[in-house]
Amino acid sequence: MLPIDAAAHSSRWRRRHPVDKAVLGLGLTVLAISLPPWPGAALVIVTALTVLLGPAGVPPRRLWRAYRIPLGFCVSGALTLLVQVGAPEGFVTLDPEGPARAAGLLLRTSAASLGVLLFAFTTPMSDLLPRLVKAGVPAAVVDVALVTYRMSFLLLDSMTRIRQAQAARLGHTTRAATWRSLAGLGATAFVRAFDRASRLQAGLAGRGYDGTLRVLVPEARVSPRFVAAALTLLAAVAAVALTLHHVLERPLG
Amino acid sequence: MHIAEGFLPPVHAVAWSAAAAPFVIHGVRALTREVKSNPESTLLLGASGAFTFVLSALKIPSVTGSCSHPTGTGLGAILFRPPIMAVLGTITLLFQALLLAHGGLTTLGANVFSMAIVGPWAGYGVYRLLRRFDVPLMGAVFGGAFVADLSTYCVTSVQLALAFTDPSSGFLGALGKFGSIFAVTQIPLAISEGLLTVLVMRLLVRSSKGELTRLGVLLTRKQSQAAQAAKGAQAAEGTEVESR
Repeated sequence: MLPIDAAAHSSRWRRRHPVDKAVLGLGLTVLAISLPPWPGAALVIVTALTVLLGPAGVPPRRLWRAYRIPLGFCVSGALTLLVQVGAPEGFVTLDPEGPARAAGLLLRTSAASLGVLLFAFTTPMSDLLPRLVKAGVPAAVVDVALVTYRMSFLLLDSMTRIRQAQAARLGHTTRAATWRSLAGLGATAFVRAFDRASRLQAGLAGRGYDGTLRVLVPEARVSPRFVAAALTLLAAVAAVALTLHHVLERPLG
Repeated sequence: MHIAEGFLPPVHAVAWSAAAAPFVIHGVRALTREVKSNPESTLLLGASGAFTFVLSALKIPSVTGSCSHPTGTGLGAILFRPPIMAVLGTITLLFQALLLAHGGLTTLGANVFSMAIVGPWAGYGVYRLLRRFDVPLMGAVFGGAFVADLSTYCVTSVQLALAFTDPSSGFLGALGKFGSIFAVTQIPLAISEGLLTVLVMRLLVRSSKGELTRLGVLLTRKQSQAAQAAKGAQAAEGTEVESR
């Protein structure tokens, strides 16, 4: 199982309805990209971190391990904004506005990532996917996504074991051997995926499979109190951010 | 290369989602039709989705010495066709955003447009074109995978350049900036992905002929005989016209 999904399965908010967590987590993401980065995104970062490490109970180390991936992308992406091309001073020069733009982008992407991580760290895919049918996603697509989700872990597990076996047989010692091993790994993934699908089909056919995958979804109800509290928090963050922005923008004196 | 969560301004995020929507809806319709007429294909399509997800998690050695991930869009499009890849790619990108923190939900539309639409269609187009001109299967597979990978990065460059125009030289300057950064890393990677796809396909031709024939990548004996007969008839017609 992947670390984020494993954490979601043992989350304090596991039994909450996905809509509750979507309103809060994805609401913070929407605020992060729509409010001015300073101080809006900074406030979203503080709020998201407080909720993640406090009520949601996400272990800080797990959060950091997941967060450093998007953070790396954000930093490398923001670096490109530091330079400008074709200015009168030279072909490639430092942009005087660059650091402010890069800092704003860094704040926005960091805050938006934390909002999505709040949702991902508290909502297992197996709780979310079956409920997408009610949101209007065609049942056939949801069924394919469910099979994809369940089969991905089996395949990833197989890939890890095959890679270990290849390494034990000196399959990664030279560049040519690495390429051979990688090709074997890719082809084996295909063969195993299709083999599992045909075995699953045979098993389901014996149980009267009619084309619909019926799965048990843990019972949960949307909590009006939780949603109301989340919306109040989002409104408060937006109001404080806009007020502070207005105050900071106003010329002194 | 996924565009990270929150990287695009809201207007761009919405615009790219709107641009991707018709292709994804078309793919969803094709997939629903397929599942209705053939219920067991749900499992095969799910397996294909899992394969695409796992393929994108493989680390390939880059010419520069570092490692990167293949997009898998070329191989996916050749095996499962671009409309189905639009749906499978969307599912894969959603999983990557929520399970691996790669990409994002606000940038899902932009990432779907580059990786699940333009990449597969461009790669599949080149593959079919090369096959039409009787290029051997492995040559066509390399061309398809190379173009799929490269076109994905070209579209990503355009998306970033539109969002972050250069203060001095505007969109073109930004496109040059992002394009030149990608060119250094992505041209070697596109070659690497092309080579890896050829190696995978070679093994698949040996081990999974049945599946490849069912997917339409390889021709059945009857189809290949019919194709040869059609070619023979065309050649004979040509000789007749010349002799007249």
